[in-house]
Amino acid sequence: MIELKHVRCGIGEQQFHYDLQLPEGEIVAVMGASGAGKSTLLNLLAGFIKPDSQVDGEGEIYLGGERVDTLEPSQRPMTSLFQEHNLFAHMSVYQNLALGIRSNLKLTTQEQRQVEQALDQVGLANMGSRLPKQLSGGQRQRVALGRALVRRKPLLLLDEPFSALDPALRQDMTMLLKTVCQQHQLSALVVTHEPRDALALAQQVVFIAQGQVHWQGTSEDFLQQTDARIKAYLGENC
Amino acid sequence: MFKLRSWHAFSGFSFLLVLLPLLTAVGAFLSYTEQAQWSLYVQESYTWRVVWFSWWQATLSTIISLALALLVARSLARRPHFIGRWLMLRCFSVALVVPSIIAVYGIILLHGKQGYVNQLWYWLGGQPRSYVYGLVGILLAHVFFNLPLAARILLQRLEAIAPETWRLSSQLGMSSTDLWRHIEWPHLKGVLPQLAAMIFALCFTSFAIVMTLGGGPKATTIEVAIFQAIRFDFDMAKAVYLSLLQIIFCGFILWCGLRLGRPIDMFASQGIGHSKLSLRPDTQSLMSKVHDASVLLLATLLVLVPLVAVVIAGINDAWLQVLLDVRLWRAFVNSLWVALSSALLSLLMAWGLVLAQRYWRQRHRLAAEAVEWTGSIILVVPPLVLATGLFIGLRPHVDVFAINLYVVVLVNALMGLPYMLRVLSVAYVKVSSDYDRLCSSLAIYGWQRLRQVEWPILRRPIGLAMALVAAMSAGDLGVVALFGSPDIQTLPLLMYQRLGSYQADAAGVTAVLLLGLSLTLFLVLERALGGPRD
Repeated sequence: MIELKHVRCGIGEQQFHYDLQLPEGEIVAVMGASGAGKSTLLNLLAGFIKPDSQVDGEGEIYLGGERVDTLEPSQRPMTSLFQEHNLFAHMSVYQNLALGIRSNLKLTTQEQRQVEQALDQVGLANMGSRLPKQLSGGQRQRVALGRALVRRKPLLLLDEPFSALDPALRQDMTMLLKTVCQQHQLSALVVTHEPRDALALAQQVVFIAQGQVHWQGTSEDFLQQTDARIKAYLGENC
Repeated sequence: MFKLRSWHAFSGFSFLLVLLPLLTAVGAFLSYTEQAQWSLYVQESYTWRVVWFSWWQATLSTIISLALALLVARSLARRPHFIGRWLMLRCFSVALVVPSIIAVYGIILLHGKQGYVNQLWYWLGGQPRSYVYGLVGILLAHVFFNLPLAARILLQRLEAIAPETWRLSSQLGMSSTDLWRHIEWPHLKGVLPQLAAMIFALCFTSFAIVMTLGGGPKATTIEVAIFQAIRFDFDMAKAVYLSLLQIIFCGFILWCGLRLGRPIDMFASQGIGHSKLSLRPDTQSLMSKVHDASVLLLATLLVLVPLVAVVIAGINDAWLQVLLDVRLWRAFVNSLWVALSSALLSLLMAWGLVLAQRYWRQRHRLAAEAVEWTGSIILVVPPLVLATGLFIGLRPHVDVFAINLYVVVLVNALMGLPYMLRVLSVAYVKVSSDYDRLCSSLAIYGWQRLRQVEWPILRRPIGLAMALVAAMSAGDLGVVALFGSPDIQTLPLLMYQRLGSYQADAAGVTAVLLLGLSLTLFLVLERALGGPRD
């Protein structure tokens, strides 16, 4: 179970307040209009932003029964993947993955094998020596996914990971993400704008509006919703 | 068929203005090559000591300024909530237009024999020492100017790093050393060679600082040696010899700089310091806090405190006496006139050259490049060398002391020209690519095009460039010292004399006036010409 207990934070004028329970081992799509607070939810989970001062029992974040909001970002059992800037431009693909294990890049033979395996899984075997600029946008996201695998953290936080990609590539990546999550029994929160992606990827949808969880349910239900706000977001054609 | 248009005349006039002084100077140098006994100078050990010192002080200044700037930029980037941050960045951005004589004065107030440092040292039980005259003082002054310049450019680079990168680094648990190795250094190293080349060139040709703080046999640069050859030894042949040496060296330095990449725009870093988020994982530890506090304190001591010392020294009883002195007001008016004329002349020169460049760009690439080179002549023939050539070349024909302010204006306009030209040509290319088609479809030509389309877009860069040229010309103490006569004063020259004649109170008031003039010119022109900010 992934649980946020009345986690509040204010950024500028806007107030955010999340109270949410999600199952583990599933892919959950996070949807909502721009500025509604999708990224803020992920940033709070990852520890990139701190919640406002907490009252008893409120403002706590749990993952698998363990409290994580007191931990530093690097100690939390999760890996983030952004729309871009996931890689260090001056490092090879291999080094970018190795960074996920040890930041001085000195790996044992066993760990080296782990990196090779991960590269293989994301379809980049033999590409380890390339630099990010020699890769396509889709390949770069594969590298980032590869690093998420070697980090072996149970929860993936993906903030519009495939928005910059062409439709066909996007489909490939969606499939890859799904396979990888199933194989490694990972949970994932995916921020996306594309209802089709949400349907293809996720069993569950969380809809955020005005800094709060507005609706939560299965992805099939989500597209059938008659709720005014969701309809306004999806548009008439869906 | 070739049709003469009004811009041809304008362009031609600009070329003439740029090239004529240069040709005069070169002609003057060449006329001396026959009678000069080169071998005599080549053998003279003094010459080689001067050459050695020029390279040595520039090398040290560059290394120290850059190393400190890296530390300062990093600490500023790490502390977006540091209370003095805004003030420090503001001081950094105006440090560029502080007249050299003011910086020197501030450094003497702080480090001189009766300076604050020695007073503190005496209070602690030590004997006051004199250390500011010579290499140490020159380095302090060069760091005063170049540390802010470099720190701003480096900070801009650091603030351009994507927030995702910092989030990633905190998730990967990177240490401060890891951040430096994997993130900061890769982002900064690209700009360092050009930055170093620029600082080196500035320090190598720095004149006023070395003249006031150095100048003895141990701490003289080629530029100061040229000045001394003319003013003290009346040895024109020696001045010519040293000038030619300086031209060769500057040409070499420029060549090296160009090989390292396109020159960086040293004033482009306007909108820095706005990043309010600190996403870095290395800001909480006590070590990093102590480190940043000491680095920022050091930067304050090197840059802010000398300026504050100048202002404090200006608060004394001599105000009335200084302000009632008619010489001061003559100098003030002269400086103001020099500043505004230089800025205007520089703009006219640049505009004429840009029009020619625009014409040639579509027809002959090489010719367009030649135009840009023409505007950069001052980088190879530094101001004092050019002034020396004009001094020698014009002396037989006119009273050089009578025309001194005109030469000051001309040389300062040429000094601003490379920057003015670049700013204007970049803006012109943009206007052209954005609006050429639109303008021709709407039939907006000539004066209307200039007024309606070009001016609103060009005024911002032009305003900044003119403000810089004006402020720098107001504080110029190079050419004016070479051509100087007792009858025609400028504020920097007056300041220099008062500094030398132990009129401490009068010097303090004059310094505040000069500093005020430079800063006011800079801020007012930038706003007035640049228009309202977004």
